[in-house]
Amino acid sequence: MTTAVTEKAGTTKAGRPQPSQRRRRSKLTLRNTLLGWSFILPNFLGFALLTLVPVVTLFYMSLTNWNIFGTANWVGLANFERLLGDNSFRISFVNTIYYAALHIPLTIIASLGLALLLNNKLRGVAFFRTAAFFPYITSIVAIAVVWNLLFSPEYGPINEILRAIGIANPPGWLTSSEWAMPAVVIVSTWRDMGYYMILFLAGLQTVPRELYEAARMDGASAWQRFVNVTLPCLRPTMFFVTVMLTINSFKIFDLILVMTEGGPGQSTLVISQFIYRKGFEENQFGYASAAAVALFFLCIIVTIIQFFWNKRRNA
Amino acid sequence: MKRKFAAAAGMVAIASLSLAACSGGSAPEAEADGPVTLTLSGWSLATTPEFQVLADAFHEQNPDVTVELKEYDAAEYNTLVTADLAAGVGPDIITQKEVKFVTTFQEGGQLMDVSDVELPEGIGGASSYEVDGTAYGVPYRQDKWVLFYNKALFDAAGVAYPDGSWTWADYDEAAEQIAATGTAKGTYQHRWQSTVQGFASAQEDTDILSGDYAYFADYYERVLALQDAKAQVDFNTSTANQLTYQGEFGKQSAAMLPMGTWYTATLVSQQAAGEADDFEWGIAPIPQLDESTTGTDNTPVTFGDPTGFSINANIDGGKTQAAKDFLAFAASLEAAELLAEIGITPAVANDAVTEAYFALEGAPTDDLSKFAWSTGDTHPENPTSNKTASIQNILLDMHSAILSGSTSVDQAITEAEDRVANEVGLD
Repeated sequence: MTTAVTEKAGTTKAGRPQPSQRRRRSKLTLRNTLLGWSFILPNFLGFALLTLVPVVTLFYMSLTNWNIFGTANWVGLANFERLLGDNSFRISFVNTIYYAALHIPLTIIASLGLALLLNNKLRGVAFFRTAAFFPYITSIVAIAVVWNLLFSPEYGPINEILRAIGIANPPGWLTSSEWAMPAVVIVSTWRDMGYYMILFLAGLQTVPRELYEAARMDGASAWQRFVNVTLPCLRPTMFFVTVMLTINSFKIFDLILVMTEGGPGQSTLVISQFIYRKGFEENQFGYASAAAVALFFLCIIVTIIQFFWNKRRNA
Repeated sequence: MKRKFAAAAGMVAIASLSLAACSGGSAPEAEADGPVTLTLSGWSLATTPEFQVLADAFHEQNPDVTVELKEYDAAEYNTLVTADLAAGVGPDIITQKEVKFVTTFQEGGQLMDVSDVELPEGIGGASSYEVDGTAYGVPYRQDKWVLFYNKALFDAAGVAYPDGSWTWADYDEAAEQIAATGTAKGTYQHRWQSTVQGFASAQEDTDILSGDYAYFADYYERVLALQDAKAQVDFNTSTANQLTYQGEFGKQSAAMLPMGTWYTATLVSQQAAGEADDFEWGIAPIPQLDESTTGTDNTPVTFGDPTGFSINANIDGGKTQAAKDFLAFAASLEAAELLAEIGITPAVANDAVTEAYFALEGAPTDDLSKFAWSTGDTHPENPTSNKTASIQNILLDMHSAILSGSTSVDQAITEAEDRVANEVGLD
């Protein structure tokens, strides 16, 4: 097979563009590049100023002892060494993992269960879908105040019900160092499940009907259809939900701040609150930045593991 | 044609953004001679009239100087002022809302040396603004913690009013007696760590920089005993129901309330507005550790942090003297009288100031109230140190661990001591 070399207009015999043609083309390329940049620039400037620069600065600050005023003196990895020996950081790290380990599976189960329930053709399904979504758009502070009342150990309705069904010593919930975190997880699961339910509902619409019909023809039970048809088809949604839930769980802050302020003692202190305390209450911005970098890498590492795991399962 | 237009539009967008980036605002320089305008940071100006009162009175005396108020959010005051100072756009005069931030500002080079500002004799809280013997602020207000009591509830329970001779044992006994009648709780100690730790540090004559917190134990045991005796609402119920001290005392749920003197003006206005019940009340000195400081012939030991003014180190040179004059005025007896008239406890007082304070309609008029308000050995709750904020956070954790009942007093104190040693590192 021979390669036909077509001599285009304006090119030399060797196939190279003539100088005038080159100039015109490079001018065109430059113009197109500038045009492209000009279109993304407004958005990129906002992103750069409000996200990229602060994040890069955060990495730099984590290597300094900056306390907001004056110069940021370079201290190398001293902040990270201090983090390793800081018992409060260790507690906040363990608490964050504990929160995530409870919150992620509970939310997936609750939101998927809701989605399966509300994916059926029921009367008033639109109302129930909306009702399930309401907690997600409700103010965190309002949620915290109401749930604090519900969890009140002596007079709260939750413990009243538990006592009524025969549990003599119900948990102290937010006042107990053992039960405070499970209580927070219950509230955050209740709050988040409506949002993730919507994602699962969207995912359920993509499951082909004929697969269910085929499974039914083969005599598969409802559970077998769920395990062998619904779950595999929901894998992309499940992956997205898991990644988002993981990141959101690791950076939990607002709900805990208003519900427990990290207490009692340090039983619900999480990494984000540790960062907030060190930075905004104690003005140790260098050290707080190091903790933020640690949280960043925690999120990144777990997300990468999830991506690899998902890739392998897809393969 | 369309492409050319798009390219032109894009270029215009770039140019305008670049120009916007270059056109950073620059504040006009104040004239050194002639009228001077000083900016003063404050919070909740609508409900905190003290800043405007001082600004107006100072302007009246110095017509060439105008003090403009710069309002910040009350809850995030320190963070916002810190951010403004760091950005070089801070106010000329910085109101020091919390003493624990003084060292942060001072070490950051944000505060001017104001040691040459003359202060009236007997002013309280001045040492809270001193770092290594140099003054970086002057106090104008110093609330102290006293005991508010409801005379009607005491009468109903047949218990004698506090008379200034009380130790904590007398207080506990009265609280339990009142609670036993079932008319109300004996007392309400709010959830703040101050309500236990502030008294302990002041009356044991130590401070939180000591790193040794065994002295808190008796104070916590006493509060826990009151909770167990149902003489006061327990910490968990107070937290779960987000109880307010104004509601608990103002609505007569509790007969006593250890609280700062700022509550006087609040209670008077709430009674006038019908937000609090109409009942007769008084102020007594806070109960003492032992009898050596009780009685009206002694000086009761209590605590309270001052509120003060500092001058921004980066203030325009032409405004410095006017700012120092304002500080001297705010700390003076003259300003103290003006503050007292609106229910503020100034950092300095004499008989005229006390009379002005108690002339407020609805305020108590008995001698013990005047004594409690005007007399006291007031220790700072927050020592001036760059370690105070970190230690207070650790002690806050200890406080919630003990009062929620999740950790024993001794264990929580030991944990706090270990954390302070490991995480803060005291000298």
